[in-house]
Amino acid sequence: MSMIRTENVCKDFGELKVLKNVNLTVEQGEVVVIIGPSGAGKSTFLRSLNTLEKITSGKIYIEDELFYHRENDTTVSKMEKEKFSEMLLEMGMVFQQFNLFPHLTVLENVMLAPVNVRKKEKEEAEKTARELLEKVGLSDKADVYPSKLSGGQQQRVAIARALAMEPKVMLFDEPTSALDPELVGEVLSVMKDLANQGMTMLCVTHEMGFAREVADKVIFMADGQILEEGTPEEVFANPKTPQAQQFLRSVL
Amino acid sequence: MIERIIRWMPQLLNGARTTIIITIISVSIGLVLAVFLALGKMSKHKILSAPCSAYIFFFRGTPLLMQIYFIYFGLPQLNPALTIRSAFVAALIAYVLNTAAYLAENIRAGIQSIDKGQFEAAKALGLTYGQTMRLVIIPQTVRRLIPPVGNEFIMVLKDVSLVAIIGLTDLTKVTRAISSSSATALVYIPAMILYLIITAFFTFIFNKLENKYSVYQ
Repeated sequence: MSMIRTENVCKDFGELKVLKNVNLTVEQGEVVVIIGPSGAGKSTFLRSLNTLEKITSGKIYIEDELFYHRENDTTVSKMEKEKFSEMLLEMGMVFQQFNLFPHLTVLENVMLAPVNVRKKEKEEAEKTARELLEKVGLSDKADVYPSKLSGGQQQRVAIARALAMEPKVMLFDEPTSALDPELVGEVLSVMKDLANQGMTMLCVTHEMGFAREVADKVIFMADGQILEEGTPEEVFANPKTPQAQQFLRSVL
Repeated sequence: MIERIIRWMPQLLNGARTTIIITIISVSIGLVLAVFLALGKMSKHKILSAPCSAYIFFFRGTPLLMQIYFIYFGLPQLNPALTIRSAFVAALIAYVLNTAAYLAENIRAGIQSIDKGQFEAAKALGLTYGQTMRLVIIPQTVRRLIPPVGNEFIMVLKDVSLVAIIGLTDLTKVTRAISSSSATALVYIPAMILYLIITAFFTFIFNKLENKYSVYQ
């Protein structure tokens, strides 16, 4: 069963075509990494999956069911409302800028959605939240406000916050791009653990080492299109398109 | 001289009490109304945003003095059913409606100053619009709103002197009355000092609030 499948996803910003017929499948348990030069439409594509971005046209399937379908900037069909919201929760998202809630402590950040959206009991939500913070190595920071944390710590909290909703797939939008170089490792290591535990993941990243080591499938995007798709060995060792060859030469 | 000032004090304090009561009630109720006006004005739905924008435009665009006149003297002439017997209630209505318009603009600016990543994170976590506002955006806006709300509070405090025209006795009115009856300008000095004490006190309170809400920064 595929976790996410997209069909001919297109996105125009006025004249500019940011996404041109993007077709991508993420199987259950798979780690898919999207690489490519900036402006390739990677983030826009990722953000369109959980409707943060409204696509111009295309179909998005979650667990083989049509999630939504748009044509000419209008929604043609989508899942019925309740199921749609349910499906939206199956996708956890981690942002480049962390986007933690600054007025809440680390623990409150992680508990907010489980209590208010999943309607979990406070005690239960707190127990899960503490376990997740332990998992990302921050159990001692539970009562601290995000502003007191380093970028790497904030991003790990953001991962715990997304995991608290028990998503079936995690979307990472350049999770380490806003971090100081020495903090990148701690976030990647949490992501690696997650991948090893079988989480389905779709990551936009510039961390080629991570892509090589952890990805089941690497996607190379440029100019709003998927130009290459394959195992890390295939894409990194034998890029077929000149764009991919040039990109890889510049980053490796 | 001191003796005369002490003799005026009960009257002055009485006037000050009216001033403070009208200010506190107006800004408190005005704030609640302002939250709805601000959210309404920001709404994507024209049916909500248009009336809220019009309301704010009207109350900021016409003199407060004229609004007070209109509510107390004008409405009964339009329709006797709209008569407000109590000048105090009429004044309160005018100040609430007026300050709500100003506060709404402050609140709107506060909400729009929140990073859009906060809205996105809330949406990605499945929070509804109402939950996002209540749990994420408004609490962050509160701290940023304290300085402009404090400012508006002090503006209202002084604008309350306009209530004299519908026969209410606030601090300014008392001062003028004493001044004309005892034929001396001396009373203006303790009156102004009283205004300054009240302003200083509330400025202090608002600063305290600001510190309290700054813990997470």
